[in-house]
Amino acid sequence: MRRRYVVTYDVRDPKRLRRTFKVMRNYGDHLQLSVFECLLTRSERILLEEELKKVIHEREDQVLFLDLGSAEGDELPRVTALGARYQPKTVRAVVL
Amino acid sequence: MNSPDPNSAPAEERRPDLIPARMLNEYAYCPRLFHLEYVDGLFADSADTVEGRAVHRRTDEAEDSLPEAGPDEPPAVTRSITLSSDSLGLIAKIDLLETEGNAAVPVDTKRGRAPNLPEGAYESERVQLCAQGLLLQEHGFDCDHGFIYFAASRKRVRIEFTPDLGERTRSLLKEAREASGATAPPAPLVDSPKCPRCSLVGICLPDEVNHLKAVVEGVPPEPRRLVPARDDAVPVYLQGHGMSISKKGESIEIKGNGEMIQRVLLKDVSHLAIFGTNHLSVPVMQALAGRDVPITLFSEGGWFYGVLHGMGLKNVYLRRQQFRSSEDPQRCLDISRHIVAGKISNCRTLLMRNHGDPPRAALDALREHRDLALDAADIPALLGIEGNAARIYFAEFEGMLKPRGNGDGLSGFEFKNRNRRPPRDPVNAMLSLTYSLLAKDLTVILMSVGFDPFIGFYHQIRHGRPALALDLMEELRPLIGDSVVLTAINNGEVGKEDFLVSTAGCAFTEDGRKRFIQAYERRLDTLVTHPIFDYRVSYRRILEIQARLLGRYLEGEIVEYPPFMTR
Repeated sequence: MRRRYVVTYDVRDPKRLRRTFKVMRNYGDHLQLSVFECLLTRSERILLEEELKKVIHEREDQVLFLDLGSAEGDELPRVTALGARYQPKTVRAVVL
Repeated sequence: MNSPDPNSAPAEERRPDLIPARMLNEYAYCPRLFHLEYVDGLFADSADTVEGRAVHRRTDEAEDSLPEAGPDEPPAVTRSITLSSDSLGLIAKIDLLETEGNAAVPVDTKRGRAPNLPEGAYESERVQLCAQGLLLQEHGFDCDHGFIYFAASRKRVRIEFTPDLGERTRSLLKEAREASGATAPPAPLVDSPKCPRCSLVGICLPDEVNHLKAVVEGVPPEPRRLVPARDDAVPVYLQGHGMSISKKGESIEIKGNGEMIQRVLLKDVSHLAIFGTNHLSVPVMQALAGRDVPITLFSEGGWFYGVLHGMGLKNVYLRRQQFRSSEDPQRCLDISRHIVAGKISNCRTLLMRNHGDPPRAALDALREHRDLALDAADIPALLGIEGNAARIYFAEFEGMLKPRGNGDGLSGFEFKNRNRRPPRDPVNAMLSLTYSLLAKDLTVILMSVGFDPFIGFYHQIRHGRPALALDLMEELRPLIGDSVVLTAINNGEVGKEDFLVSTAGCAFTEDGRKRFIQAYERRLDTLVTHPIFDYRVSYRRILEIQARLLGRYLEGEIVEYPPFMTR
């Protein structure tokens, strides 16, 4: 049972910033600069937080988790986009 | 290696030397959980266990060594100490230990909140702490109390090691030692509030087992839906041409013609299905094998021919039970009767629901055959009954294909009879593919449950055939296999242009097959009400539940294997 999160971060040091990006890439889609969209189970969220805590500086950096609700079901998240198109992330069987 | 086969040793010798205090906690919590984890070696993570490990990682940075006990020893705080005692037969990892002089006080970290109890903590947690106390006493310390630190409440609770608690701890230790020699798990807890948060609930199936037992013995309790309705991870199918799959970080990248087609996170993959000659890099194989994610291999034409999987061996007792039962003709017959009866019943239901004008004679004949199957004298008789029923069913199959609205009265597809190897027309090509996919999904699930997919009860063992997958597939062929074909045709999801017919048989076009597989996946994702347990789960989850119920039947927990039949 997944929830949809927008995770955004503000990391002051370039090296930490790169490491943060690398961690986030393993959990979600890069949406905008320092913004990721992730579909996470409770376990995955805990693991992501643990990985981020190892990278960021407790006082200088900040990561925000914005909970956009359940990712099950067909409801679209309450997100509107101006400019380039936005497609909500889904986890469905991939057939290529 | 000259050591004797550990599985042939008598019960006393089969027990491990040292019981971890953590496992004592599990035993006190639920003896069945103890058996599944400790004896069967099954482990499933839940959010709680993941969080528990995270909380402990912060205290586990380095292992210290045990300070000395003595009247002049200064106060000390040590972390992550492992202590054991052969005489007690116990081993424990103490998160934090406060010592001074001869006294030692263990502090155990728990991730949750402090419970609202007069004793301060649940018995299983107090017993685990007391076990640490017993070990400290063995090592020369005075230890009459300890603390449990509840991380979520940031609260330390003092636990006295009273004579009663000590007695209880010792007696549970003795029981756990006995239990670790058992080959079959104890019965599940009945309607317990402990079950919903238990990480092994999807493996244990407490309510389902209790329900099936009670149906035989008396009033059945209402099963709760404790397993998630759907899987979190999904399959990835690669059925195009010339694609290559490689690993990038914790994701797999699928490229074609040098261009990136799609990136999928490893955490989201339940299994990989590769058709034809596409390229797979070894790092991907390693990453998937490490996560127990299997890779299934199909020929260009959709024939399921191989599985790549890691070495995660578990649930060995189930496999032994499977082998033994497969050699018992009565067991094989019992299971086979139910499987075939289930299949015939589902075929009949499908005809009733989907046929334009359900043929009374065929429906009655199928009902008769279902009853005959339940009483069949032996497997050859059953094969005959199944064969007849299949002929009756497929004779009416075309009646389930809706005519297209363009007035010519034809759906564009015909079905005269079942043919395969190779299929000669589109409907048969679709049936073959859907059955192949279903065999794949069942093979994957059977392996994850701990079965050997090649040893079956109804289907005889033959080279290259996953007999058990074919067994469990029977009752699901109409409901998942045939149903997908009907939906794909009747909703216009596939058309005549999606097939190539030649003297060599009928094959899908790449595009047509892609859409067909998507239709199959959608069906598996559909929620359905389980006819026995009355809760809604996806068809894919049904496959797993049926596989686990077969396991429960083989282990003697339920009296017969209940096939999945819709009303």
